[in-house]
Amino acid sequence: MDFRPLTETERKHLITALRGNAQDGLAVLMDRQTTSFLGTAEEVPDEEVINAIRSVPCHY
Amino acid sequence: MGLLDTEAGKRRLLCVEIPAVERYNEGRDPDFKVQVVRGGSALTLRYRLKPCHNVYVLETRLHSGYPTVPPETRVVTPLRHCPHLLEGQTLCLWRQGSTRDSSRWDPAKFTCIFAIQAAWRWLACYEVWHETGEWPLPEAK
Repeated sequence: MDFRPLTETERKHLITALRGNAQDGLAVLMDRQTTSFLGTAEEVPDEEVINAIRSVPCHY
Repeated sequence: MGLLDTEAGKRRLLCVEIPAVERYNEGRDPDFKVQVVRGGSALTLRYRLKPCHNVYVLETRLHSGYPTVPPETRVVTPLRHCPHLLEGQTLCLWRQGSTRDSSRWDPAKFTCIFAIQAAWRWLACYEVWHETGEWPLPEAK
């Protein structure tokens, strides 16, 4: 794969979102069409729950 | 519980898993829809995720013992060797030990879509690790 890296700004934004998700329970939002990262939210409407990643109790 | 060969398994599939996949696929670009493929006594979900700029092909396998047995997700797209990646590019997601009691997978709360979301978050971490060499999240406690 021809890997395209994140810009520094994008990376900081993503790290903040991932940590907010893991530590504060913020939902990470995926684009409905392409699954791309959109940002975070504290509350998610019912119709968007399928595109909102809640804190995942994973081994990492 | 056998997912495809018991009444309980079929009920779980028809009432929980398939509706969740249909809802996930609603309004999604065709390239990013989940495809469900049967193979023997297991089901495999094939899909793509694009957390940032890169598109990854993945497979999540629902074994015959699913949902008691956690789903197993692997990335088909070649990756660099990194933390939390097992043999065959299988993602280390739920396993905390070798016993069922220590698994982080909860069949009463999660569906196969939750496994896809967990894979998305893993890939987002991978994209950060790829550039910085550091996994951005601490070990789950």
